[in-house]
Amino acid sequence: MKQVVLIIACVVAFIGMLVLGGISPVEAAQTLFTGSLGSPRAISGSLKETTPLLLAGLGVFFALRAGLFNIGIEGQFLLGGFASALVALAVPGPAGLLLAMVAGIAAGALWALPAGWIRAYRNGHEVITTIMLNSVAVALTDFLVAGPARAANQTGATTATIPTSGRLPALLNSPPWNVSSGLLLGLILCGVMAWWMKRRVAGYELQAVGANPSAAEFAGINVRKVRLNAMLISGAIGGLGGAIQTLAFEGRFYQGFSPGYGFDSLGVALLAGSNALLVVPMSLLFGVLSKGGTSLLILGVPKGLTNLVAGLVILISATIRYRRQAQDA
Amino acid sequence: MLNTVLLTLSMATPLVLAAMAGYCSERSGVINIGLEGKMLMAACVSALVSISHGPVLGVLAAILAAIIMSLVHWLATQRFGIDHVISGMSLNAISAGATNFMFTRFSDPDRSGRIGTLPPLFYQVCAIAAPLALLVYVAKTRGGLWLVAAGSDPEKARLAGLQPDRIRLFALIATGLFSGLAGAYLVADTGVFTDNMTAGRGYIALAALILGGWRVGQTALACLAFGFLSSLNLLFQGTDLVGVALPSEFWTSLPYLATVIALAGFLGKQRTPAGLGKT
Repeated sequence: MKQVVLIIACVVAFIGMLVLGGISPVEAAQTLFTGSLGSPRAISGSLKETTPLLLAGLGVFFALRAGLFNIGIEGQFLLGGFASALVALAVPGPAGLLLAMVAGIAAGALWALPAGWIRAYRNGHEVITTIMLNSVAVALTDFLVAGPARAANQTGATTATIPTSGRLPALLNSPPWNVSSGLLLGLILCGVMAWWMKRRVAGYELQAVGANPSAAEFAGINVRKVRLNAMLISGAIGGLGGAIQTLAFEGRFYQGFSPGYGFDSLGVALLAGSNALLVVPMSLLFGVLSKGGTSLLILGVPKGLTNLVAGLVILISATIRYRRQAQDA
Repeated sequence: MLNTVLLTLSMATPLVLAAMAGYCSERSGVINIGLEGKMLMAACVSALVSISHGPVLGVLAAILAAIIMSLVHWLATQRFGIDHVISGMSLNAISAGATNFMFTRFSDPDRSGRIGTLPPLFYQVCAIAAPLALLVYVAKTRGGLWLVAAGSDPEKARLAGLQPDRIRLFALIATGLFSGLAGAYLVADTGVFTDNMTAGRGYIALAALILGGWRVGQTALACLAFGFLSSLNLLFQGTDLVGVALPSEFWTSLPYLATVIALAGFLGKQRTPAGLGKT
C-alpha cells in the first residue's frame, strides 16, 4: 500500500515538473516515443544508446551481486575508451582491434583496483572512492586528449580517427537500419555471466558474499579476495564497454566521451535485481529513454530529465524490492 | 601567504558546513551519501529564489529545499527500509536531473551579472559557529547524548526508552539546514549557478568526516586540509614548481586523490559509529 502511494507521488511530481516547465505531458510522451521507437532510424539510434548501457550495466551488476556499488564505472568506461583508442591508432588492422579491446579491459580493471583494494583490505567505502576516481579519470583523460594524445591536425581536444579496418564491423548495415556487433558482444557477455553466476562455484561464492558477508566468511569463503576480484572484473567490463564505444561507434576519443553512461548504468543494474538476463531489457529501457530524451531537447525539455527519471525509478524499485523482502521475512 | 589563508578558508567553508550536515546524520545512524545532492539542490534553489525574491528568501528557500530532501531520505530509510546508500544515490541523481531541469526552465537566459546573495562572510561565520555549536550540543545536552545513542546502538537506545527514528528525524532536519547553507554558499561565492557546481564537495565532506573519525573538531580540521588542497589549484595553476608547469587538471584532481588516500586509511584510524545504517 505504502509503495503504491510513493509511486503515485513520484509520477505526480514528474508530471508536475513538466507542467510547471510549460510542456504538455501528452506532447512530451509522444515526442519521446517517436524519437526513440518511431522509425527504423530511431530504433537503430536507441540500440546504439543501449550498447554502452548494457556493458556498463553488466559491470555495475557484477559488483552489485558481490554487495559492492561500483559508481566508478564512468571512470573505468572513460579509461577503457581512451586506452583502446590509443592502441587502435598505434596498431593497424584486426590485430590492433583485438589488442585495443584488451587494452580497454586492462585499463578499466586498473582504474577499479584502488577502490577494490581499499574496500577489501582497508574497509573504506567504495562509493566515495569510486566517485573520486571518476573525477580524476575525467581530469586525466581531458588532459591527455587535449595535450599528449591530441591529433596533430585537430583544433578540438580529440584523438585522430581510427581507420575502418581497425574498428568493430557492423552486424547489420542496410540504411536506415544500422546495428553494431558491439551489441552482440554485450548480449554474449550477459549470457555468459548469467550462466557463470548460476552454475559455477565462484559465481555462487560471489553472490554469497553479496548476500551475507559474515556467513560467507564462516563458510570458508575468502571475502576480501572475492570483493577485490569482483571490483576488478566489474572495472574490466566497464573498460570493455568504453573500448566498444570507441571501436564500434565513436572511432576516436574526445573530451566529453561519456554523457553519463556510468550513472544510467547504475539504474540499469539496480533494476535488474538478482537476474543477469534482466540487464538486457533494463538497458534497453534506459537506451530508449536516453534516445527519446535527445528528441525532447527540441521541445525545450532539458537533458536532466532522464537523470531525474532514473533517480525516481531507482528509488521506487528499491522501495518495492525491500518491502517485498520485509514481507517475506 | 595571506592569500593562501583566505583562499583555504573560502574553499573550506562549504566543506565544513557539509561535513557538519553529514555529522548530524551519520552520528544518528543514517548513512548520508546524498549530501552532494542536497547541496546541489540548495544551490539551485538559492540561485532561483535570490533572483526573483531577494537574497534572504533565497537562503531560506535553499535551506527548506535541503530539509525536504533530507526528509525524503528519512522517509526512505526509516519508514520504507531502503538501503541508505541506494536512497542517497538516487537522491543525488534526482537532484542532478532536477536542478538542470529547473535552472534551464525557470531562469532568464539573457540575465547577466552576479546573482545578488548574502555576503560570503555570513556563511563563513556559520561555518565557524556550526562546529562550535555542535560540539557543545553533543557534549553538554541531553539531546546530544540521545543523538549519539541512536547512532551507536539503536537497539539499546530503544530499550532505554528512546525512539531512534524520531531522533533521526530531527538529526536529518539539522542535516538539511547545514547542507542548505553549504549549497547556498557556493552561489554566494561564485555569483552564478552552473550544472553540477558542487563538483564532488559532498563526497569530500564525507571523506573528511571519516578522516576525522566522526568527531567535530577533527572533521573541521580535515575540511581545512581539503580546503587547502583545493586552494592550491587556484594558487599554482600555470606556475612552474618543478621546472615545468603542472597541468591544471593535476591541481583539480588533488583533493579527489587525497580523499582516496584518506579512505585507504593511511591518514588515520577509522572509527565508524557502531549503529551506522542499522535500524
